[in-house]
Amino acid sequence: MAAPAASHGVSVEVNGEQVELEVPARRLLVHFLRDDLGLTGTHVGCDTGNCGACTVHLNGEPVKSCMLLAVQADGARIATVEGLAADGELTALQRSFNEHHALQCGYCTPGMLMSATALLERNPRPSEEEVRVALQGNICRCTGYVNIVEAVVAAGGGA
Amino acid sequence: MTTVTEQPARTLEKGYVGQSIPRKEDKRLVQGLGTFFDDVRRHGMGYVHFVRSPYAHAKIVSIDVSKALELDGVYGTITGDEVAISTDPFFEMSVEPGGNIKDYALAVGRVRHMGEPVAAVCAATRELARDAAELVEVSYDELPVLVEAEESLKNEVVLHEDAGSNVVWSGVFEWGDVDQALAEADHVVRIERLHFNRFASTPLECAGALVEYDRGTGEWTLHCNHQMPGIGAIWMAPSLRVGIDKLRFVTQDIGGAFGNKICLHPQYVVLCLLARKLGRPVQWTEWRTDQHTANAHGNERTFLDVEVAVRADGEMTGFKVRALDDCGAFPRYEPLGCIIWAQVTPGMYGWRNIKVDFTQVCTNKSPVSPNRGYSRMQHLWLTERIVDIVAAELGLDPVEVRKKNYVKTEQMPYETPNGCVYDSGDYAAALDIALDLVDHGSIEERRREAASRGKLLGFGIGSTLDSGTNNFGQSTLLNPDLQFSGNNEAASVKLDIFGEVVVTLGTVPQGQGHETTAAQVVADILGCSPDQVNVRRGHDTWFNSHAGFSGTYASQFAFTGLGAVKGASELLREEMVQLAAAVLQAPVEAIELADGMARIKDGPEEAALPFMALGAIVNANNAFLPPDFNPTLNHRYVCRPYFGMVDTEKKTGQLTLTYATQIHAAVVEVDPDTGEVEIVDYAAVDDCGVRINPQIVEGQVHGATAHAIGAALSEEFVYDEEGTLLTSNFYDYHVPHAMDMPPLKTGAMESPSPVAPLGAKGMGEGGGGGIHCICAAIQDALATAGKPIVSTSCNPPHRVWAMLRDPESSRAGVAVVSK
Amino acid sequence: MLLREVEYARPATVEEAISLLGSYEGARALAGGQTLVNVMKARAAAPDVLVDLVDLDELRAIGFSADGLLEIGAMVTYTQLVGSSEVEVARPILAEVAATIADVQVRNRGTVGGNVCVADPTNHLPPLLLALDATFTIRGSGGERTVPADEFFVGVYMTAVGEGELLTKVSVPPSSGAGDGFAGLTIGKHGTYVANAAATVSDEGVRIALGCVDAVPVRASSMEERLGGGDFSDDAVQGAAEGLGASLDPPSDAHGSGDFRRHLAEVSAARAVLQAASRRKAA
Repeated sequence: MAAPAASHGVSVEVNGEQVELEVPARRLLVHFLRDDLGLTGTHVGCDTGNCGACTVHLNGEPVKSCMLLAVQADGARIATVEGLAADGELTALQRSFNEHHALQCGYCTPGMLMSATALLERNPRPSEEEVRVALQGNICRCTGYVNIVEAVVAAGGGA
Repeated sequence: MTTVTEQPARTLEKGYVGQSIPRKEDKRLVQGLGTFFDDVRRHGMGYVHFVRSPYAHAKIVSIDVSKALELDGVYGTITGDEVAISTDPFFEMSVEPGGNIKDYALAVGRVRHMGEPVAAVCAATRELARDAAELVEVSYDELPVLVEAEESLKNEVVLHEDAGSNVVWSGVFEWGDVDQALAEADHVVRIERLHFNRFASTPLECAGALVEYDRGTGEWTLHCNHQMPGIGAIWMAPSLRVGIDKLRFVTQDIGGAFGNKICLHPQYVVLCLLARKLGRPVQWTEWRTDQHTANAHGNERTFLDVEVAVRADGEMTGFKVRALDDCGAFPRYEPLGCIIWAQVTPGMYGWRNIKVDFTQVCTNKSPVSPNRGYSRMQHLWLTERIVDIVAAELGLDPVEVRKKNYVKTEQMPYETPNGCVYDSGDYAAALDIALDLVDHGSIEERRREAASRGKLLGFGIGSTLDSGTNNFGQSTLLNPDLQFSGNNEAASVKLDIFGEVVVTLGTVPQGQGHETTAAQVVADILGCSPDQVNVRRGHDTWFNSHAGFSGTYASQFAFTGLGAVKGASELLREEMVQLAAAVLQAPVEAIELADGMARIKDGPEEAALPFMALGAIVNANNAFLPPDFNPTLNHRYVCRPYFGMVDTEKKTGQLTLTYATQIHAAVVEVDPDTGEVEIVDYAAVDDCGVRINPQIVEGQVHGATAHAIGAALSEEFVYDEEGTLLTSNFYDYHVPHAMDMPPLKTGAMESPSPVAPLGAKGMGEGGGGGIHCICAAIQDALATAGKPIVSTSCNPPHRVWAMLRDPESSRAGVAVVSK
Repeated sequence: MLLREVEYARPATVEEAISLLGSYEGARALAGGQTLVNVMKARAAAPDVLVDLVDLDELRAIGFSADGLLEIGAMVTYTQLVGSSEVEVARPILAEVAATIADVQVRNRGTVGGNVCVADPTNHLPPLLLALDATFTIRGSGGERTVPADEFFVGVYMTAVGEGELLTKVSVPPSSGAGDGFAGLTIGKHGTYVANAAATVSDEGVRIALGCVDAVPVRASSMEERLGGGDFSDDAVQGAAEGLGASLDPPSDAHGSGDFRRHLAEVSAARAVLQAASRRKAA
């Protein structure tokens, strides 16, 4: 990709599978995932990178996929919400969300799960405050965050 | 005088109803397997982008789409001129002159708010549609802009020539004799101006639809997130000049709505026209800036010249007010907001003499839509501000004033001065729970401690009602020619051939957990587990399981939605019992439904039929049934709540049926140097009668509280004089994030509703309790700094600082005249 | 939301990047993208070519120069700053402030270089780096030069980095016992600043920089002078801040009037100085 071009072939690992596709340089990563790969679990909730509904993992770190171009993901490893439950077996965090009623409309949920999963990978027993910091980039309009925070703390084995 | 018809509330035996069972919806949603409208794809679909007005008020001189059409990949365009030819203006609810407003799907001749759609482009990709939109050339002649309702009232600049006036609706509501009450009062408290700011619940998923047109049948299918398809169709079908059955609404998962997805018909009509014109499915996704600028704001209301009559002992006997409501550029669902507040005319209080002089005007701002708490929230904020200002000015304890003036539980069911009936509740008891949760007794000590750290601590109460189950007859109090009354909701329940129970709802859930609560109700009636009950996701016109007012709005699902589910389930149950009796050759009274079986009570094990057997008989093995017994095991039921008829002369009547209570209490600390407000303690107490699923109820309380906190501290749609929205994205329109939320304590009570089918009142909107208590707490905190009066609903740091800097100005409009 | 057509290139070396930036007139450097992508979504700016700096490992280093300056590569992310032991030892205020920028996702991508090159008056790092007396190293086809903070920030969204040039690193003096402070008012927790101030108190005296009140961060020189005597008591600092606002002409917007910002500038400056003074280690 040394020479500027309006479209590039990208090679990306998505949820463990290698994907090769030609994409326009202007395509946002979130639209690449949703429209080109049909992974519609990652959502768009705003147009200024605030809401975090589009959060995925890029090389293991949570990022907002609406703030990245698909071409930037060339050579990288992406994880989306669809990759969490292996063969339909929900993770402890997903189960905790269900048990604690941590979702209502479910639109922010994939982003919340990706941010919280990344947190638990680094900090297996987060405090309530640490959870709030980790989820600061994920807006929810339904739950007031109360049960979401509870669910993440509980998944970490906290209170 | 209205009569109350009590519907027998059959209390179901405690089974699944009343339990916090985890939600059925979650399994797909936590895996990212929900289907939101933007997830739906169709072969050959085109993407639509709207060309929007950059001006708040202007004449459209010309539109040239030729360059857009030249762009490779563009399928077509549509402009207001085409819309004016192929559609009729949307039906308006107001009387003249407001009722003469012509509202089309695209701007015709004039634009009246920034962001108003003027044309639409459809192209092969999202990006191309956006590119093509930039190539549409529109020329405008700017007109003077109106952003203040009080300015608009002057009619110097008129927004809608067909109306000839900016007044959408105007009328006086008067019950009792407030002038007498004021004359007899020991104190008259005057408040010149209070302003409820413009904000909205901004659901995370924006609006949108994918629309298909079938040329053979002339039918459209809208894969969308419209939360009230009943009214959507009522607006759209006549506009498109087709029968209502030509519009199939299909909703699946919806990412929140809160009333902001009720007035989507203009954009949807554009999509219908494009789908038909271009011969392909077309899809539109609203982006966040579009939603903030041009979709749905909450009603902005100014209260002027408030006068309150107070007796020496603190009893408030009446109030009068002039209310001026700003509905933005087009009324649409308005003027219903001009009456809906009257569901809670006296708020929580017993005053009998009330006069409200109500006017609604258009301005060059985004049109409003029934935003969570619609119209009641603004009015309840007024009553709570009145109580706190009266208490502050007369040196009374706001807790005592409330307890003295609250409608008492012994008075329930209580008829308000305008004929509404508060069905049940114990406000004083709920308040006590809230006070206890925030340790009210320690407030003064905490105030001193905060002062030692340089902070001003304040305590406030926000008591509010969440009125539910609308009587659409209330609209006739605004326009006697409207043919609307009552309410309805439908549901269907059937037993499939393999014994699965399948439920289809008329409602349109956007996160309220209808699939789960409906399953709980059905499970208890049919004697099975909720896991055996499959509730189909969303709303589909083709389910034929809806009624004229179907949708999810107005805090009524627990009444009408579940009432319909209950009715259909009971019909099904009756048939299942009769069928089992016939097969098992036992009397009907001997049959019970339990554990997924129909069996003889205390009978032998073999005297039992699994549901599958019943389903199989009716569907595939029915020859032996007697000719006069024709069970279908498939029932549709319409829940029609009973209302007294409204009196259009006196403007009285039962406007709504249930009243859930929410009492909020907040303790805040104000930084006197910056005006920042931090909530250090918070409690919300809810009483919605019988709680079908307590965890879901509590979740609604949390969410309503978060919306209220945002509205009270940071969320405001701010316009400049040119009608530009300055807070059009989440940077400037700050909503609470996880770190912004205080620790929330919740409490609950259950005062069953005597009128609801399950004793469960609708709830969810919340009535803005958080706004009321935070305003009260801020005023209390600032009391030692010159006693400023909080007169706006939203108080970000700059407003708090203004009150601290110049308390006298904020007090200028408040006066007490005492005998 | 949807970008205009653009060309994208991903150079492997700094030299390649500089060459690309110099060869295409409408070329912009793409660092973390947490501002640039937003700008492009709004179509407020539309570069013709994006030069992605992601592979330039040379720009990701945090280390020390021969004379002990803390050197932070332009592509160092906020998350890296927060987790850096070098930063913690040399100038922890950088990590403390970086930890309050927006949220985890933004911090994983946003860079020091991006924050300063965007030069948004409400950004966190410009006033902080001005107070810390940081220097900025810029490389172009003609070579390298180093610019002090008060010359780096030129205007709103404008810096000393010219066409065909790249900021390669920011150098910050180690604290050596100085105390640093940062204060202000944001729109919500960890939100955008309405007004802010950074201060450092050392043996050399006090440096105070104000953000949000002008096109570029400004030094509160008269307040610095008044504190020259070394008295950092509450009264002295509040007294020194008085009148600071009167010398400013800040913008008015939905979040506050010019007057409010004048007042907040005084409050923030005082708070930042008090915090810095309390953290200063005894000589």
